[in-house]
Amino acid sequence: MDVTPSVVGLASVPVKVLRRAHFFSRLSRAWDFRFESLARTGQIGRWYSAVGNELATVGAALALAPNDALSTVHRDLGAILTTYLDPTRLAPELFDAEEKTDWDAFRPQPLELLHKLAAQVLGRRDGFTRGVDRSFHYGLLKPEWGVRHVGMISHLGAMIPVAAGLALAAKQQGSNTLALGFIGEGATSQGDFHEAMNLAGVLKLPMILVIENNQYAFSTPVSEQYACERLSLRAVGYGIDGVTVDGGDFGAVWSAVTNAVERARRGDGASMIEVILPRMRGHAEGDGSYEVIPQEERERFLAMDPLVRFESELVEAGVIDQARVEAVTTAAKALVEDALEWGRASAEPEVTEARRPVFAPGQIAEAFAKQSTEVQS
Amino acid sequence: MSELTYLDAIRHAIDEEMARDPAVFVMGQDIARFGGAFRATKGLLEKYGNRRVINTPLCESAVVGAALGAALAGQRPIVEMQFADFISCAHNQVVNNLAKTYYRWEQPVPVVLRLPFGGGVGSGPFHSQSPEAWFAHTPGLAVVAPATARDAYGLLKAAIRDPNPVVFMEHRFLYRREKTVLPEGDHVASLGRAKVLREGRDVTVLSWSWTLHESLAAAAELETEGVSVEVLDLRTLSPLDEETVFRSCRKTGKIVVVHEATATAGYGAELVARLADLCFEQLDGPIKRVCFADRPSPYAKALEQSLLPGRAKIVEAVRRLARY
Repeated sequence: MDVTPSVVGLASVPVKVLRRAHFFSRLSRAWDFRFESLARTGQIGRWYSAVGNELATVGAALALAPNDALSTVHRDLGAILTTYLDPTRLAPELFDAEEKTDWDAFRPQPLELLHKLAAQVLGRRDGFTRGVDRSFHYGLLKPEWGVRHVGMISHLGAMIPVAAGLALAAKQQGSNTLALGFIGEGATSQGDFHEAMNLAGVLKLPMILVIENNQYAFSTPVSEQYACERLSLRAVGYGIDGVTVDGGDFGAVWSAVTNAVERARRGDGASMIEVILPRMRGHAEGDGSYEVIPQEERERFLAMDPLVRFESELVEAGVIDQARVEAVTTAAKALVEDALEWGRASAEPEVTEARRPVFAPGQIAEAFAKQSTEVQS
Repeated sequence: MSELTYLDAIRHAIDEEMARDPAVFVMGQDIARFGGAFRATKGLLEKYGNRRVINTPLCESAVVGAALGAALAGQRPIVEMQFADFISCAHNQVVNNLAKTYYRWEQPVPVVLRLPFGGGVGSGPFHSQSPEAWFAHTPGLAVVAPATARDAYGLLKAAIRDPNPVVFMEHRFLYRREKTVLPEGDHVASLGRAKVLREGRDVTVLSWSWTLHESLAAAAELETEGVSVEVLDLRTLSPLDEETVFRSCRKTGKIVVVHEATATAGYGAELVARLADLCFEQLDGPIKRVCFADRPSPYAKALEQSLLPGRAKIVEAVRRLARY
């Protein structure tokens, strides 16, 4: 068991992966910047920013293959974008034709999906839930796109058993796919974490849990959340693989997840990867939770910005130049602006949507619709 | 086919559905080699192997959550709770994750939760409860409670085939006491349909599961006194077959609701509310309830029996209402 964060660096990561990682990290961050400003100006209700988490979410998602199941919580936009979108069609000016992957070939029209995501987070008619649930509280199961994504409920820890179930089905179906779930360090204190990781260990499930440890859960520091030295030490107790990596070291994140993916596909079971991240935002924008962190600590976190570090390493290694950093940043901003405009143009949901069926079509749904509580209310 | 118990009927239903559809699988505690606390899954491991008959650690919440995940990936899980009482450990997964998925993002989740429930055998506060109202209160869950071996078979098959989460309440007292001869062939019952099990003129008794049998016994006893009792087996509690219930209410004008769960905010309260609202003009008397007293289920048999809504209490309630 490796419990020591080690500097892995970029050398072991294919250049195509690095260029894609940079693009999606910037796209995720541009999205957050824009929605943070909407939250600050009262134009949307709440916004839970993923600033600081991008390398972890994008890096993990880039280690996956088509139809690996993805389970996300509230700071995982980077993984969602990376999984859904073909960057070579979304930003053709930034990618060479040979950067198109086999998976990109059957991914959907990316701009439409980005638009739909904007409508979803704005609670509009064209969103994935058509206004019924908020932001990242939805799923998208499109095996024909290679996308099997299950979104969160607010109880967070409750999604870990769901990821285990996705992994169980993969094993039962003999599909050689796996399930990767994200969770924050806060929800590792919930019972579902223990139950699900133990289940994953006992049933040897092809499952990976990425713990985004950004040092605070709402206002609670890790010192008040758990007493072990590293969360990945808990893997020993479940008989699974566990490792802690520095979330500012893209190579470390990508390699750890890639190793866990190989392990899962070999049939060697589950892994837990703790990614240490700096807390760069509060729980939700404007809820006062960032201000309770001591100022020196906040300054230290902000100075650690994993994305800024990644960019300087990329430039230093000659993978991309400064001009490309700026071009990607500008393109990301424009894509988000376009998506936001489209999302805003989407109408408010039809009020009838509130009364849409609570049961899928069948005997139960028919019986439900006949009740007076349905007919009269 | 020879006579089967309620428990055999459940095993047959699972076996046949597993044979019919490779996506159907069972998981729960002690269900594989051992066949489950009540042996409902005995023999299935040998037939279908450990990918489809899965022993789990002691983790009710993770099992229900994993059932949801597996269902999202195209499987049709059947989860056995060792005792219905233990589903409180999985409450969040049931009411927030499983129940709300279809409404939130329109993805069907075909999951059956099998709950051996009920008392009458001196099992105490944690192995005797009737938790149907917890789930009937939650939109997105169907609650099914067969009283007969034939329904245990037909309704379980229907539940497994339905694309929605179903809380399937199996009465422990009935497991080896209720028997039936199943018809030949694939007999699938209809969810959401109540049944008139005994026709009568004076009073209607609405019940399900074990108390349904007590109600039938009470009706037979009252007949000797000249009181004609109609007995309805609700079979599916949620969604409710109002048509059958209201028709009987219009016929007799007098209703007694009998259930094993405690009275306050029990499922009977919902029945009473709907009848009071929609059959007010047809009612010829107050709607009465015969339920477990508002207490946890005590251990010593004499104590438990004193609180259970058995035949004598039903007879008394119906007799008084008939005279009203």
